[in-house]
Amino acid sequence: MDEQEQQQPTKYELHLQKRAEQKHINKVGAYMRLAKKMLLMLFIFGGAMAVVFGLVKWAGTSAPQTTIALDAVSLNDWLKGNKDSSVTLVEYSDFQCPACKSYMPLIKQLLADYEDRVRFVYRHFPLSQHKNAEPAAYASEAAGKQGKFWEMHDMIFDKQSEWAEKRNAEETFAEYAKTLGLDIAQFTQDTNNKELRDKVDADFKSGVSAGVNSTPTFFLNGKKMIQPRSVDEFKQQIDAISK
Amino acid sequence: MNSNNKLMQFQNNSRYFIFAALILSIIGFLDASYLAAEHYLGKIPPCSLIAGCETVLTSKYSAIYGIPVALGGAVYYFAAFILIFLYKEMEQKILLRLFFLFSALAFFASLGFVYIQLFILKAICIYCMASAATSTLLFLLSCIMQNIKKSSSVDEAR
Repeated sequence: MDEQEQQQPTKYELHLQKRAEQKHINKVGAYMRLAKKMLLMLFIFGGAMAVVFGLVKWAGTSAPQTTIALDAVSLNDWLKGNKDSSVTLVEYSDFQCPACKSYMPLIKQLLADYEDRVRFVYRHFPLSQHKNAEPAAYASEAAGKQGKFWEMHDMIFDKQSEWAEKRNAEETFAEYAKTLGLDIAQFTQDTNNKELRDKVDADFKSGVSAGVNSTPTFFLNGKKMIQPRSVDEFKQQIDAISK
Repeated sequence: MNSNNKLMQFQNNSRYFIFAALILSIIGFLDASYLAAEHYLGKIPPCSLIAGCETVLTSKYSAIYGIPVALGGAVYYFAAFILIFLYKEMEQKILLRLFFLFSALAFFASLGFVYIQLFILKAICIYCMASAATSTLLFLLSCIMQNIKKSSSVDEAR
């Protein structure tokens, strides 16, 4: 009885030992396999991230649809640069859009360098999520009625952060008008002018029909541009068509 | 017999939960990678007709000490995937606990980011919201998996 009791645990112990050894061998192998799997996954995830980066980059540079019906430049449009140039650059822009603001100095630089080669047109595309974009567009048009569209355009962009989140941005725009030396009574009246508001709306609609879905969107001689990221990229694309 | 059945049911379910968590972490990883890519490649993200992504992605909250939040998200989802995968292979409780800890952290971070979007920026980035959703689901799953582990070990003890 005693012997049996002593023997039984030894047998069991032996069994346990055997199992433990086997387990150990298995364990080493399993760990190796696991490590290999981890390494593989690291590569797969890293690869997936690289693919996503590649796709985003590609989407940013791939050529969009080539021919889009774009309204011809009209008398109503705001022009800058050489008005008789055969190269027309149209921008659909939103005064409250930070990206449009950051493009302003690029356009200025471009027009300074290519002054007599390019005809630049500014069109309104106030996005609905920017609640002060429309009042800003009206303010620029009203200033335009007194011959100071571009001055107001620059001021509104320069001070974007000042009025973007304001509840009564119209008052701020009236102050800008004052700074520009405009007739305030006339300015305020013009901002409520239906004809003027219709013009902004017409700009927006022409943008929609030309396939504009983000701002700024540039068209070079009626063709939607691959979003240029620097003045040089603008120049390259202009050079390519005016050779 | 009854408790045995219950145990098997739990273990069966836990397999589904592990599978769901793996899938969710992959989705979250791809989403966060996309946002990180936008941060690094889109120098001037344009304003789009539909979303307020540009406001969110260009805000000062989008990066902490120059490191985009999205990249942190991608690292988290990758870590979550590895932890769940290791748990599936090794069944070490500590992995599950680590996953729980990580996902809780990510969940509260997501809550913070959703708050910033809704109440400070007042702009919603759909990809950021998707990431908040995946991290919330992962957190829920980690809670459930923790509990399953506990109940099944109680069952085992019996």
